[in-house]
Amino acid sequence: MKTRRSIWLAMFLVAGVLLVFGANRGGGPKTQQERIDLLTSNLACPTCSGESVFESRAVAAEAIRSEVARQVAAGLRTDDEIMGYIEQRFGGQVLLVPRADGLDALVWALPVAVAVFSLFVLFSAFAKWRGNRPPSPSNDDELIVARALDERES
Amino acid sequence: MKSKNLVKFVSAAVGVVVAMFFLVLLVAEPDNDTVARSPLLGQPAPAISSRTIDGESFVLERRKGSWVVLNFFNSTCVPCINEHPLLVDFAEAESRKPDGAELYTIINDDSSESIRDFFARNGGDWSKVTDDNGAIAVAFGVARVPETWIIDPNGVVRLRITGELTEGLLGRQVEMLREDFTS
Repeated sequence: MKTRRSIWLAMFLVAGVLLVFGANRGGGPKTQQERIDLLTSNLACPTCSGESVFESRAVAAEAIRSEVARQVAAGLRTDDEIMGYIEQRFGGQVLLVPRADGLDALVWALPVAVAVFSLFVLFSAFAKWRGNRPPSPSNDDELIVARALDERES
Repeated sequence: MKSKNLVKFVSAAVGVVVAMFFLVLLVAEPDNDTVARSPLLGQPAPAISSRTIDGESFVLERRKGSWVVLNFFNSTCVPCINEHPLLVDFAEAESRKPDGAELYTIINDDSSESIRDFFARNGGDWSKVTDDNGAIAVAFGVARVPETWIIDPNGVVRLRITGELTEGLLGRQVEMLREDFTS
């Protein structure tokens, strides 16, 4: 039982370390084209459905792509500021990855909250089922059964 | 007994959320207004500069002191063609006023030749501003044409009209804004 608990603990630890590492991993130096591609991949084409600015050939998407490229080349704005510029013009619906602040944060927080709640309910249910198992027979019980069997055979 | 209560509680919570979604759907008004929302409303107009198809320089900031109407246009777009006579009427009416609004066409994904041809056939002697790579459209968040924007003499964006104009709409809106501005 102790070994199993240690394995679970180790797994959670490894998962946690990997998550923290993944979240904070620096992208390293990016080329301008990589920045443009990444930014436009996270922007929705405002006139098409289900296409990003990166892949769409619509006029509006091409205009946004050009503007992102111009701002990246100018080097005056960070990636966040460029995304903010486009968002301010076209509205929050242009972001394919919702922001993690304000009401938008619910998109990220709710699934986690639901998952945690579900796990809690599951663990509670398992614990309850384990508690309801019939008690294992004591030594006296086994002795009584053995005697009864002997009597029947003799 | 406890788990039964929990199930009841969770079911009730889910029921309330679903009911609230339906309530929002029932109460929400359809978003089909001609006068549209934009984060730019009440903000200084984006700093844009370009050239007209006649080669003159166009810097929006230099138009401060006048009411400015920007009409995003493409000569092959049907609503743009439909609303054109209304823009001609509007420009004529405004030219007769001492503080008449200046009208500019912002060319959206169209060639200067097509624009010249269109205006030669359909009238309209106001300036037509080129928008290379759609920078002006992006600065105003214009995804589809036609769109019409009104900017006050302080250079502040006051109104955005998406889609085809209706009879008298633009004149009325400019007049209302003008009254509001002077009062």
